[in-house]
Amino acid sequence: MSEFETVIGLEVHVELLTKTKLFCGCSTAFGTEPNTQVCPVCLALPGGALPLLNKSAVEYTIKAALALNCKVALQIAFDRKNYFYADLPKGFQISQFFYPMGTDGFVELHINGETKIIGIRQLHLEEDTGKLSHFGGIISSSYSRVDFNRAGVPLMEIVSTPDLRSAEEARLFLQKLRTILCYLGISDCKMEEGSMRCDANISLRPVGCSELGNKTELKNMNSFRSVFRGIEYEVERQRDVLLSGGSVIPETRHWDEAKGLTRAMRSKFVSADYRCFPDPNIHPNPVPQKWIEEIRNTIPELPDARYRRFIEEYSLPAYDAEVLTAVKEMADFYDSVLSCYNEPKAVSNWIMSELLGLLNEAGVEIGESKIKPQPLGKLLQMVGEHKISGKMAKIVFAEMFATGVDPAQIIEKNGLCQISDEDILSQIIGTVLSNNPKSVEDYRSGKKKALGFLVGQIMQETKGQANPQMVNALLQNKLDS
Amino acid sequence: MHINKLTAQELAAAINKKNISLEDLAAAVSCRCGAAAEKFNAFINFDPAIIDRDIIRIAGMLQNGEETSLSGVPYALADNVCTAAIKTTCASRMLASYQFPFEATAAQRLKENGALLTGKTNMDEFAMSASGENSCFGAVKNPWDGKHTAGSGAAAAVAYGAVTFALEQDRCGELRQSASYCGALGLKPTYGRVSRSGLVEFAPSLEQIGIIAMKTVDLAAVLAIISGPDPLDPTSSDADVPAYTGLLHKKAKPIKVAVPESWRETAYLEEAIKNVFITKLQEMEEDIFQVETISMPYFRYAPVTAAIISAVEAFSSLSNYDGVRFGFRETGKHLQEMYRQTRTEGFGSALKQFLTFGAMISSGKFYHDYFLKAQKMRTLIKQELEECLGEYDLVVVPTTPFRAPTLKNGYKECLLPDPAASYTAAANLAGMPALTFPILMQDETGGINTTGLHFLAKPWDEAILLQAALSLEKTNPVAFPELRR
Repeated sequence: MSEFETVIGLEVHVELLTKTKLFCGCSTAFGTEPNTQVCPVCLALPGGALPLLNKSAVEYTIKAALALNCKVALQIAFDRKNYFYADLPKGFQISQFFYPMGTDGFVELHINGETKIIGIRQLHLEEDTGKLSHFGGIISSSYSRVDFNRAGVPLMEIVSTPDLRSAEEARLFLQKLRTILCYLGISDCKMEEGSMRCDANISLRPVGCSELGNKTELKNMNSFRSVFRGIEYEVERQRDVLLSGGSVIPETRHWDEAKGLTRAMRSKFVSADYRCFPDPNIHPNPVPQKWIEEIRNTIPELPDARYRRFIEEYSLPAYDAEVLTAVKEMADFYDSVLSCYNEPKAVSNWIMSELLGLLNEAGVEIGESKIKPQPLGKLLQMVGEHKISGKMAKIVFAEMFATGVDPAQIIEKNGLCQISDEDILSQIIGTVLSNNPKSVEDYRSGKKKALGFLVGQIMQETKGQANPQMVNALLQNKLDS
Repeated sequence: MHINKLTAQELAAAINKKNISLEDLAAAVSCRCGAAAEKFNAFINFDPAIIDRDIIRIAGMLQNGEETSLSGVPYALADNVCTAAIKTTCASRMLASYQFPFEATAAQRLKENGALLTGKTNMDEFAMSASGENSCFGAVKNPWDGKHTAGSGAAAAVAYGAVTFALEQDRCGELRQSASYCGALGLKPTYGRVSRSGLVEFAPSLEQIGIIAMKTVDLAAVLAIISGPDPLDPTSSDADVPAYTGLLHKKAKPIKVAVPESWRETAYLEEAIKNVFITKLQEMEEDIFQVETISMPYFRYAPVTAAIISAVEAFSSLSNYDGVRFGFRETGKHLQEMYRQTRTEGFGSALKQFLTFGAMISSGKFYHDYFLKAQKMRTLIKQELEECLGEYDLVVVPTTPFRAPTLKNGYKECLLPDPAASYTAAANLAGMPALTFPILMQDETGGINTTGLHFLAKPWDEAILLQAALSLEKTNPVAFPELRR
């Protein structure tokens, strides 16, 4: 099986969450009527194409560079990448070819408790293109339409080193990138809406060989799942080619989600010469160290730091820490719950089983749900103090999740509070014992099973609200006396 | 009425005080511009209604009590400077019916100052050169002699006295060459002095909007208005804009001038130009100028350097002419064919040669051999000029190696490098201001008798160029051509 080693590098594009485009004041809002967010600059009309750089986009890119442990470029400079295509208004894309904003960074992956470092070769800022709609298929259509709303939206490209060794690692890497960028609040990284896109360079080589084999570039993977499936397929395909004595043709391939296979699109390495040169309209600007430090100060605790803190400070298992830190809002939520009920493992258990279960079922994100940290803390505190049973708490929690009402109110309204009052419990136990003399006799003559029956009777009597530990203790006490 | 006898300031004062009526102004300007259009092909799509519309606008300003500094002063825009009032064709079939939705910043500032827009002037396609022959609207004839080129319609219109001034792009010296061919003053300001917003892009690192006029005071008045920072052009500078007109009244100080030793070694240098230049240098010595010849070894490489850089930038900057969003489109069976047909039919042959050259020298290994070397040479030329201008106030050379060439009645080949740019291209490479001063040649040899002295100053020092020109004006008075055709 392991005669070949898989080598994967990813090129990831994410749209930045700036309000306006990279070089003009047009809105970047998604899903509006075609060609309503355009102007002479982003349409490249003659006489109107002077680019005015959006400072927030640069700031976001520097933020990402710092978060991905990159060296930040000493200057902001842009280049022209020249090629013709109908979705590219200027006939060139303004990109950062010579001075990428960040270089030589890395990301940590946690794989089965081990930490693996994946390099970030570079990270740069560029403009997005428009969008083409082909009527009747990309090859057979007789005409196409272009929507330029997306043209000029700031796009950050992140290029990994070829350090990934499986489809699973590629998926984990991509998810990690999404986690970090979402923590920074600079992109929403929605693969389905195209605000995060991923191309994979894939090759195989004999184990122990240091040279890289011929690679293919895989495109059109529109979800994390299809990144995994697409790469899995392509790796198998290349393995079959190599095992049958063939050689892999270096080319761009298209992942067909419906058919579950990859198809050749066009031959690579005969592709265009982009003639990149510095954009004469955008003069290079130095990046002040002070500005970098200001940006660094706005970076929140990042997932890896948080992961380590959760393990060290809260003694959580690695798995819990990984799950809880995967989404910033979830980690924030967890921290907030702990601030009112400091039982890390109990809270983690509850979130991972109960909360995540309900969120998945309802298909909502933690930020959109009605559950707030303080009420959950209160509920778990009541469980901890045996004021309410775990079983009851689940019922209360379901209602909190659906309505957002405070747990105390729900408990009071439904009379769900646990009976922990010794006097009340003694009275009920007395009644049950006197109503069931046979069982008492059985127990005292050695049939220990009778105890279960008596507990059941007590719980029935209290509609399940009796504190089970106290019932056990009091009952034993009475029976043994 | 002889509008061209008045300076811009005098004419504006007469209009503001109603000593000249707007009706008379409109009639005189329409007549003169109409003649420039008809005789020299100076305008593209000339239409007197454009003047009438702008007269109504100016009348409104006057009614509101706005007495502006260029009130009623007639001017023209080269057809690659956009205005919302008229089409912007760039003298190209590609944009023959193109209408830009906004005003170029320079045009907007003139409009706010009451200047009278007369129309768009003819030029080589996309102002790629000053041959005067590569326009899809036909050649531009020289007002001094219709058998010769005017370089551009803007220069012809100004020299003919149809307008007080004109704005035009200067990329490798086209504005200065045309002004020199027509016996007019031409000023290319420092890169960043005048906003490029609304100027159709060709070679963005070199080009700047400049002014053609017949009198130094008019250059000064217009420069003061169109200069200054513009939020729409990030390369425009917030450097101080001096009150140029006021500066001219100051007493002239001696001006130190350097002549690059290599000026005689220029290809195609006409004997007559050589002689008149030497004579003028001697005359200057008697004036406030101190002239010295110095060694400037890189200066002569400016035209080839500028040709390479501008061709690469133009090839890229003109990639938006693909027939998809605006302008001319030829149909094709598929996208690639549509591009090919559109650009084949839409662009003229000289421009296509130039763009092909740009595409070639920016690809593969040529990128290093030509484009990168040109970038390095640009830095050397700039450093050399900076060094020289640290010691001298001005550098002086002839404006062009030859007088206005004769028209060939057909598209000219694209010359690489363009010999007409031999002396002018360095200013664009270095981003420095430069001015051509018109010289009438005494010894008539059958050709037309105008040429130019070309001065180059350090960045932001347009004032010294204007002072030099004002001084020369005393011994070389303004001359308008008498038509000999």
